[in-house]
Amino acid sequence: MKRSSPIAVTLAFLGYVVMIVPILFVVATAFTDGDALTFPPEGLSLRWFEAAISYEPFTRALVSSLQLALISTVLALGIGIPATLAIMRGRLPGKSVVEGLFLSPLILPELVVGLALFQQFMIHLEMDNFRTLLIGHTAILLPYTVRVTGASLALADPALEDAARGLGASAWRSFWTVTLPVLRPGIISAALLSFVTSFNNVPISLLLQSRDFRTLPVTMLDYVQQNYTPIVAAMSTLLLAGTVVLAFAAERILGFARIFGGINR
Amino acid sequence: MTTAAEFVAVSRHFGDFTAVDGLDLTIREGELTTLLGPSGCGKTTSLRMLAGYLAPSEGQIWIGGEDVTRTPPEKRGLGMVFQSYALFPHMSVADNVGYGLKLRKVPRAERARRVAEALELVGLGHLADRRPKALSGGQQQRVALARAIVIRPRLLLLDEPLSNLDARLRVQMREEIRRIQAEAGLTVVLVTHDQEEALEMSDRMVVMNGGRVMQEGPPDELFPAPANRFVAEFLGYENFLELPGRGLVTVRPELLELRGEHLEAAGHGTAPATAVPATVTSIAYRGVELRVALDAVDATGATVPLIASVRRDAIDSRDLPALLPGGRVTVGADPGHLVRLSA
Ligand SMILES: Nc1ncnc2c1ncn2[C@@H]1O[C@H](COP(=O)(O)OP(=O)(O)O)[C@@H](O)[C@H]1O
Ligand SMILES: [Mg+2]
Repeated sequence: MKRSSPIAVTLAFLGYVVMIVPILFVVATAFTDGDALTFPPEGLSLRWFEAAISYEPFTRALVSSLQLALISTVLALGIGIPATLAIMRGRLPGKSVVEGLFLSPLILPELVVGLALFQQFMIHLEMDNFRTLLIGHTAILLPYTVRVTGASLALADPALEDAARGLGASAWRSFWTVTLPVLRPGIISAALLSFVTSFNNVPISLLLQSRDFRTLPVTMLDYVQQNYTPIVAAMSTLLLAGTVVLAFAAERILGFARIFGGINR
Repeated sequence: MTTAAEFVAVSRHFGDFTAVDGLDLTIREGELTTLLGPSGCGKTTSLRMLAGYLAPSEGQIWIGGEDVTRTPPEKRGLGMVFQSYALFPHMSVADNVGYGLKLRKVPRAERARRVAEALELVGLGHLADRRPKALSGGQQQRVALARAIVIRPRLLLLDEPLSNLDARLRVQMREEIRRIQAEAGLTVVLVTHDQEEALEMSDRMVVMNGGRVMQEGPPDELFPAPANRFVAEFLGYENFLELPGRGLVTVRPELLELRGEHLEAAGHGTAPATAVPATVTSIAYRGVELRVALDAVDATGATVPLIASVRRDAIDSRDLPALLPGGRVTVGADPGHLVRLSA
């Protein structure tokens, strides 16, 4: 293996420090026995974790966020994968226009998307805020699913599908038995990325929230604006733990290189 | 001789570009037919139309006495080996080979037997459980071959099957493919740009250029009698010149005779009726042979480059000075060795 230069090692180290140290502060403060969000923590206890998981607005928002992230991820994949196939393998005219359409939410400010949805769907069409949120989240996830599965499809040999057809598979059968399995790592990475993006989204969720349906990041944001207790640090630590477990599971099942390389070789 | 497949006036356009231009071609049952031609001449396009991946812009394709022009690939019952092999990366070697049988709903036990048989035929019985990526290029190709023949295809189509292999393996696989063809009794259409491969492997070869057939026939008939300059050049002929009363002719380098003063005196053959004056431009030694490059003046007065291949021991040492660059000699050939070309 090539030895990295000392400068690169130092920069990488500094990078990790800048990213991880503030997170460690949050984690440490979550274990405090005191009543204030301070560092160093006063004493050691799990009481703020207890408080976090029994604080009804948080638990309700957590369920809402998971619901929203899960459904919008499924929708984004359900629309994004066929769209990617059509853009890259199909013979539709004006491919680049369609591609641009699917990728455009990536460059539009999310607040603008949120506001537009608010005016059109909630005010004019009187749609409830969960459905409007689903539309908004699906729209911002689509570019990720199209990009990531597209990268994976670009690396796959187009002759694979021809080979399946030649051996007797209908177009549909070849899609299920060859195209989809070959794209699987790309689809899984698109799903993870989408789920996390939706779960963490603030701008759209902030604009489209209502009393009965609120996402966790928005609820936590509201909470910190009014209170300054370690319960937020505890909730953040739980989310962090959840993310680590998810990432670890993904790594065990597929390996990061394959997820983010996105190709089944 | 039964007809296995037929192209009837088939053309294929891509926009303004015509990749295949009025192709008429008969593939005979049990034979190995090669489509030979330079890159871009329409070989792959023709093969893909035969397989059903590409629709002809005009004309019809017949397979086994049936018009299949509008039949999708999965209903044509052909086996194809792609240039990239196109093995399914998420399946084992055995599952790759068994894919077509599974689609045909062949029962599990029979499927396993036929997969094992096909892998034996290509000499890979011991690798059935591997993933394709764990195989060498040569082995991957054999898997692709096994996958294509296990379904007992009406035709086996091979697109440049040997071009990704190293030189030694390539020569070895030529015989291997012939052996498999004979053992499985297959009709094969093979695409290649390698004339040596085509000459060695084909029962019939079809030389293509610019989307058209230039000439077709068995190698032993086609090679000694190329129809035109393109075919001759593609088969490796090098000497082209106009001779009075004979039109454009070509002669193989080893059949060209050089005459200096002493060569003639030494009585090498009779004076050819078709001699032209020439000047030596360069000489290269190749083992016992001497390759002499010359500029000759042909019947039209044009200067044409010629290559003569001469055995060193056939040269009188007194003639050697004439065989230096700038030396003046006479070039000729036995009229029986001249091949007339149409253009
Ligand atoms: N899908 C396509 N679109 C446009 N041009 C094509 C397409 N496929 C092939 N061609 C053109 O048709 C010609 C013949 O191609 P091909 O049949 O692949 O040649 P070969 O296999 O003899 O090298 C080439 O000039 C190629 O660029
Ligand atoms: Mg080709």
